[in-house]
Amino acid sequence: MSGIIEVENLSFGYTPEAAILKDMSFSITRGTFVAIAGPNGAGKSTLLNLICRALRPDSGTIRIDAAAIESYSTRALAAKVAVVRQELVPIFGFSVMETVLMARTPYYDSMGFESRADREIANDALKATDTARFACRPLTSLSSGERQRVFIARALAQNSLIMLLDEPTTFLDLKHQVGIYDLLKAAQVEKGKTIVAVTHDISLASQYCDEILLIGAGGAYHIGKTKAVLCPEKIKEVFDVDVFAGRIGEENFFIPLGKLAKNSRKTNKELGSI
Amino acid sequence: MKQLLTLKRLIVRIGLALVVLVAVMLVCSLIGTEEVSLKAVFAGPGTRATVNPDYDIFIRFRLPRIILAGLVGAALACAGVVFQVILRNPLADPYILGISSGAGLGVIIAVISGLNWTLWGRSPVAVFAFAGALGTVWLVWFIGRLTGKFHVTGLLLAGVVVNAFFSALMMFLTSVAKSDQVYSTIFWLMGNITEGDFLVLWIGAGCVVGGIVALFYLGPQLNALSFGAEDAGSMGVNVARTRIIAFGIAAGITAVAVSLSGLIGFVGLVVPHGVRLVLGPDHRQLLPLSGITGAIFLIIADSVARIIVAPAQLPVGVVTAIVGGPFFLILLVKYSKKVSWLT
Repeated sequence: MSGIIEVENLSFGYTPEAAILKDMSFSITRGTFVAIAGPNGAGKSTLLNLICRALRPDSGTIRIDAAAIESYSTRALAAKVAVVRQELVPIFGFSVMETVLMARTPYYDSMGFESRADREIANDALKATDTARFACRPLTSLSSGERQRVFIARALAQNSLIMLLDEPTTFLDLKHQVGIYDLLKAAQVEKGKTIVAVTHDISLASQYCDEILLIGAGGAYHIGKTKAVLCPEKIKEVFDVDVFAGRIGEENFFIPLGKLAKNSRKTNKELGSI
Repeated sequence: MKQLLTLKRLIVRIGLALVVLVAVMLVCSLIGTEEVSLKAVFAGPGTRATVNPDYDIFIRFRLPRIILAGLVGAALACAGVVFQVILRNPLADPYILGISSGAGLGVIIAVISGLNWTLWGRSPVAVFAFAGALGTVWLVWFIGRLTGKFHVTGLLLAGVVVNAFFSALMMFLTSVAKSDQVYSTIFWLMGNITEGDFLVLWIGAGCVVGGIVALFYLGPQLNALSFGAEDAGSMGVNVARTRIIAFGIAAGITAVAVSLSGLIGFVGLVVPHGVRLVLGPDHRQLLPLSGITGAIFLIIADSVARIIVAPAQLPVGVVTAIVGGPFFLILLVKYSKKVSWLT
C-alpha cells in the first residue's frame, strides 16, 4: 500500500545556489506518528511548509493521498492537511470557540455561518484537547500551553487525514509537553490521523513516535522506525553532538553531552583532577 | 458568558442598528437653520404656485445631504475594517495606501487646470478625485506585488512612500496655484459634504451598498485572514482571491466616498475599532454594523458641522476628529481588555 504522504526527489532552496533539501524521497504510511528532527536550519520547517503547499518545491513531487499536491484546490487540500504553526496570535481578540470554528470556514453555508454539525465538530475538538473550559475566553488571555492546545483543537476540527505540527512543545514546560504528545497520540490512535511533528526533543519523539526523519545540515537524511534511526552514531552524525543513550523499560532516552558537561570524558581529561 | 454569533442574532442586531440609523436621519433632517416640521412635509410638495417650503427643504436639501453623509460614513468605516484586517495592522485606515493623496492630487490638478465640464452632474473635481484615488491604489498594489505576494510590510511601505510623494506634488502645485484655487482645494481636503443631486446619490448608494453586501460574504474568510495568510490558507481559505476581492471593493468604495465628499478623516479608523471593542472582532458582524455605525456617526457629525456655526458651515472632517477622538478614547479605556493588539 502506498503512503499517504509520498515525497519523491524533492529539492528546495530559498536561493538557487543554496539548496537546503536535496533529492529527498520518503513515504509516510497512513496512521503513523512521525517526528522530524535535525539541527537548526536543516530544513525541518521548510519541509513542513512544502508538504502543506505554503512553499513550492524547486524539483521533485509531493503526493498527498495518492494525488499530486498541485492538483488540490485550497479547500480540498485543507480537508487532507491541517497545520499547527509555531506560536501565533491573531491581531484581533477572537475567543477560543471562534478560533476553533474557523477551521470549518470552507464548509459554512451561503450566508457565511456554521451548521449545527460544524459546531459539534468544534465542540468535540475542544473536548478532546481539554480546552472546552475556556471556550469563551479570548485567545490572548491563555498561557502558551493552553493556546497551543487550542490550535491543535482547531487542526482537529478541520477533520483532515494529516496533521502537521511545527515544534508544538518548544515553549512548554514538562507537563504540558507530555500533555501535547498524549493528545497527539490519542488523535493518532483514536481517529487514525497521520501526524507529522517537527521537534527538537528526540527523547519525547522516541517515546511517542513510530517513525522519525532525521535531517542533517548538509541535506543528508535518515528515515525509519524510531528505534532503528535513533542511535548515538546517527545522532552524532546529524547533530554533531555526543549523546548519552539510556534505556528504562521500553523507553529510550538521549541526553546530549557538551564538552564541559560534568560527565563528559573530555571534561575529565582536560580539567584533570576535579 | 459570551454567546456565539448566529445569523438570527446578527439580523436582530442589524435591524436594531437600522432603526437607530433611520431615527437619526429623521431627527437630523428636521434640525438646521430653517425649522422643518414633519407634519408640514407630509402635506406634500404643494402646487406650482404655492410651493410647500418645508417639503422643499426636506426633499431637495436635507435628505440628499443626509443620505450622502450616511453613504460616505458607511463606505469609509467598512473600508477601514477591510484595510485593518488585510494589512493586519490596527493603525490602518482607508487612506493608508495613498488613496487620500492620490485623490488630493487629482483634485488640485482639476482645480488648477480650470476645467468646467460635468459628468453625471459632478464637477471635474469629483471625477479627478475618483480617478486619482483608484490610480494610486492600483500603483501601490502593483509596487507591493513586486515585493512579494504575501508581504504586507512591502505594501504598507509602498503606500507610505507613494503617499508622501503625492503629498509633496500636491503641496508643490498648491504653492504655485492662485489663492482662490487654493481655498477650494483646502476646503475639499478637510472633507466637505454638500447637497448632491439624486442621480449621483443613486449611483453612489448602489456602489457603496453593493460593496458592503459583497464584503459581508467575505466575512468568514477575513476572520481566518486575521491569523495571517499562511494559516488562513491551511484552513482552506483561498487567500489570494479573498485579498484581491476585499481590497478591490474597499478601495472602490473609498474612492467613491472621497469623490463625493473630499477627505473625511477619522471615520475609517475609529468606527471599526469602536464596533470591534464593543461587539468583538467577527467580521460577519463587524462589517455591517461598522457600516451602519459609520453612517450614523457621519450624519451626526455633518449635522453638527452645518448647525454649529450657522449660517456658515464647518468642514465635516473637523467635526469627526473633534467629536470622534474623545469618544473613541472613552471606548478604548472601557473595553480595552477585549482586544489583543493592546496587550
